[in-house]
Amino acid sequence: MSTAELAARLYEACLSKFPPDHLFYQQDLLGLGIVPKNDLAQLLQLTQTLVDQKLLRLLQGKNDRLAWKIISREDAEKYVFGIELLQNLNPDESLVYNVIHSTGRSGIWVRAIQNRTGLPKSILDRCLKALEGKNYIKSVHNVKFPTRKMYMLAGLAPSEDVTGGAWFTDGVLDANFINSVSTFIEYTVSRKSWYEAPAVEVQRNKRIKTADGSAAAKFPDRSSDRQYLPFPAGYQGYSTVATITAAVNESGITPVRLGEESIVQLLQVLCFDNKLVSLNNGEMYRSIKNPEAVKAQQARKPGPIDPDADDDERRRLVFNGMTEAPCGQCPVFKLCAPGGAVSPETCEYFDPWLEKALGF
Amino acid sequence: MTSQYATELCSLLIEDNFGELFARIFSTLQRYDRLTLPRLRFYSRLSDRQLHHGLAAMVQHHLIYHYTSLEDGNTYYETNLQSAYYLVRSGKILEMIEDRLGKYAATVMSTIMFLGHAQIAHLETLPELKPQRSHANGVGEEMKEEAEGQANGVDGEHELDELVENAAIHSTLKALAAHGYVIQVRDAQFQSPNDNVLDAQRVLKARPDVKEMKGKKQEQFLLENTERIVKERTDGDLSRGLMFNGVPQGVKRKHSQKPNEERREYVDIDEDEENEWSDDDFGGNSPMDSNLVVRVNYPKLDVALRNRRLVELVDQESSSATAQVYDCLLRRIEYQTPRCRDIAEIPREGEESEQYSVPIRLSALVDDIDPYLDLSGSIGPMEVPQGPARRGKRPLENGVHGDTDDREGQPSSTTNGTSSSSSGASRTYEVDQHLCLLAQPPYNFTSKRMIGGLINWTVEYRHLARKLRHTELERIIEARYGDVALRVVRVLHAKGKLDEKRLQEISLLPFKDLRQVLASMQAGGFVDLQEVPRDAQRQPSRTIYLWFYDPDRVAAGILEDTYKAMSRCLQRIRFERARLREFLDKTERSDVKGNEERYLSEGELKTLHQWRAKEALLLGEVSRLDDMVAVFRDY
Ligand code: SF4
Repeated sequence: MSTAELAARLYEACLSKFPPDHLFYQQDLLGLGIVPKNDLAQLLQLTQTLVDQKLLRLLQGKNDRLAWKIISREDAEKYVFGIELLQNLNPDESLVYNVIHSTGRSGIWVRAIQNRTGLPKSILDRCLKALEGKNYIKSVHNVKFPTRKMYMLAGLAPSEDVTGGAWFTDGVLDANFINSVSTFIEYTVSRKSWYEAPAVEVQRNKRIKTADGSAAAKFPDRSSDRQYLPFPAGYQGYSTVATITAAVNESGITPVRLGEESIVQLLQVLCFDNKLVSLNNGEMYRSIKNPEAVKAQQARKPGPIDPDADDDERRRLVFNGMTEAPCGQCPVFKLCAPGGAVSPETCEYFDPWLEKALGF
Repeated sequence: MTSQYATELCSLLIEDNFGELFARIFSTLQRYDRLTLPRLRFYSRLSDRQLHHGLAAMVQHHLIYHYTSLEDGNTYYETNLQSAYYLVRSGKILEMIEDRLGKYAATVMSTIMFLGHAQIAHLETLPELKPQRSHANGVGEEMKEEAEGQANGVDGEHELDELVENAAIHSTLKALAAHGYVIQVRDAQFQSPNDNVLDAQRVLKARPDVKEMKGKKQEQFLLENTERIVKERTDGDLSRGLMFNGVPQGVKRKHSQKPNEERREYVDIDEDEENEWSDDDFGGNSPMDSNLVVRVNYPKLDVALRNRRLVELVDQESSSATAQVYDCLLRRIEYQTPRCRDIAEIPREGEESEQYSVPIRLSALVDDIDPYLDLSGSIGPMEVPQGPARRGKRPLENGVHGDTDDREGQPSSTTNGTSSSSSGASRTYEVDQHLCLLAQPPYNFTSKRMIGGLINWTVEYRHLARKLRHTELERIIEARYGDVALRVVRVLHAKGKLDEKRLQEISLLPFKDLRQVLASMQAGGFVDLQEVPRDAQRQPSRTIYLWFYDPDRVAAGILEDTYKAMSRCLQRIRFERARLREFLDKTERSDVKGNEERYLSEGELKTLHQWRAKEALLLGEVSRLDDMVAVFRDY
């Protein structure tokens, strides 16, 4: 193991096993059992590496013994950076830097930097260019204000407000990604939403007749090979945001880990699409369709209803008088009046419609 | 519903059903709102004789209101658009009556519809309402012959026959009355609702104690009492005394005494018609008062149709067992629900308070449900079996079939549909389970009430009516603009007014798609854009644009369009008929009618069949459009 790696392990161990303001003596560090064979020379080498990285600070302990204090990574970075900054930036640049720094993960609009610093536009531009060139700041795309030029510190990840969440890449909605994740979610949720009845029971169901036998005919069983039954009210085994998020992250369909907020965003969309139902104020989610139906529907190509699709499919999706009758779809509906230029008598839509429906 | 297209439609319906004279009177009155006879004669250019005949018949059909003013002594005539519109719904109503109460009841109902209103004594004499001896006797002529044949028989026998015959019509009328499908005609029903209100107020104001009241107080008093008086005067309910424990007489007893016989709901119409209605169905044989004049009670029928619509929806969304349980609950509620709404107009979105139906006791419901209906096989277990070593089960779950070890396929006694009916407690539990399932989102078809420690179930109809309206709108939106549009509309509906960016964040749609769909929906009048300027100059760059979806406005527009589409379909039927006029006249000839096979050539027969198919299809479409009108206007 290299010195650097050992040093890193030592640092982590110190961080996890002791309180942050602990004063470390030699025996504390050796006691962590990280330094091979408790070699004192090597220990000193490691501590020196960490001191150089500003992760440890060397102190004078009791009786003039050597002691160390641990420094958080964040503070260490600031410290390193601070010195560097002082060395590398001119006063205007550091003024701009500080303004950008103060806005954290939200980023700041160029116009706002100008207002706050009072620098002339040309100088500001030069500063920004310099800072960006040295890789201290970066420009970010804000979904809320796509036309504004915004900056934030290079080392920070923009907040959800700025990016619009996981569903945006560079401020543009990633529709394919959204589709694949929501397809996955709907299917995952559906598998937990329906009870798959064993085949034996299905058989039994079919045999049972009602008193007069006609009820069975009135409500024919929509039978398929498998039978999916709804769970009783109060069932607790539906998917939750946590289980769905875990499933999505484990599935390998997402290159980045998605947070629960992002998943909730998508779940809401699925609810708006009438694919899922949220129960107990979003505590759990249930699918409207059973897994088999979800699969079948996902196999069909998405998008607006294909006017050439066979009638069965169209009927199932849209189903009322206005969507069926020629007048409900008529492009000249508003103009149509009996005796007028467009009229039910001269109408050219009825004949094809009748022909299609009746087949003659 | 005083719109241009509703009026056009009603005039068409009247012309199709009653001919040109009625239509002429109707549209004249419609145009001028309210006319005296001389004015009507002037505007319609009809002769006195025509007018007298027409008005009298139209009044009998409740197509026209009339009102005689006490002030000037004139009689004013006014159209009854509502009644006229119901002409289009009659087929649906008769179908439902046949489904529920059998073919004979449907015949009685259609006779009453045909007459507008009818005295029971008159109905008794009608040959088409004599019980039929056999199915072959479908035609009126044969019936008459049969009746004459009886008249020639021995006197005593004849009287007996008549008694039996009248018993059939009386028990059927009682069933119709008990269900509230027919009501008694009252004088006030001939006056428009408006006149009735004014009349009631006049009566109230004439009372000395009311006269003494001061402004505000008097107003308040009038407001509170007018409705009551109008109700008293127009109420024609005949179901009182014909109900037994909240169920119209006959329905329940039959079920519990002879569970093996067909139940009302699922009457097999091909079975022997006469036995369907036995005399002992109704308390005693006491006939109805022959002097009563009865008419069809459309508001009540709308309640039944609305329930049927909801059951259909449940049937699509869940198992048939659940749908049947729901059907029983809604049936019970129907018996105690006189109309769909208490207010004339559909209230605006968000301004409608929750209104629960009468609560129905779970135990009462259990008795109504077909004891042979398998309730356990259509709901999953409370916990999914996790292999042989399953953890503790709550005893409550007995009766839901998952408790037995399904994986080994050994149904226990509770999973067995027939034996479960023997154990009342578990049956009750199962029924409750189905009702709980119905109470779930997204529809919330039912809601549970504990009353005095007993489980009751009710239905919040206002919310369901809204749901039905939204569904119809969404179907149109989906058909016209695709599923992207549907998502956008739902987001706007749930969240209110949104700017484009916020809309995108919630709907997660690419800007291009979003803009496109918003623009086309805006052009179609489904969504609107509101401009909120941020300064007085109203500069576009300083203006926020908010999208919104107003289902009330959209629904009102679609209702108009629906009326119009119905008219166009009816006009097209007329046009198609005109195209075939000569040929159709031939088929209507009395010698040809009924003997088409003999008199028509093969080609002509084909044309005839095609014409009938066309007409049926177009009428079917009109009826589907009427379903939408019902949702937007009546439920
Ligand atoms: S043109 Fe034809 S389809 Fe269009 S509204 Fe008129 S009748 Fe209907």
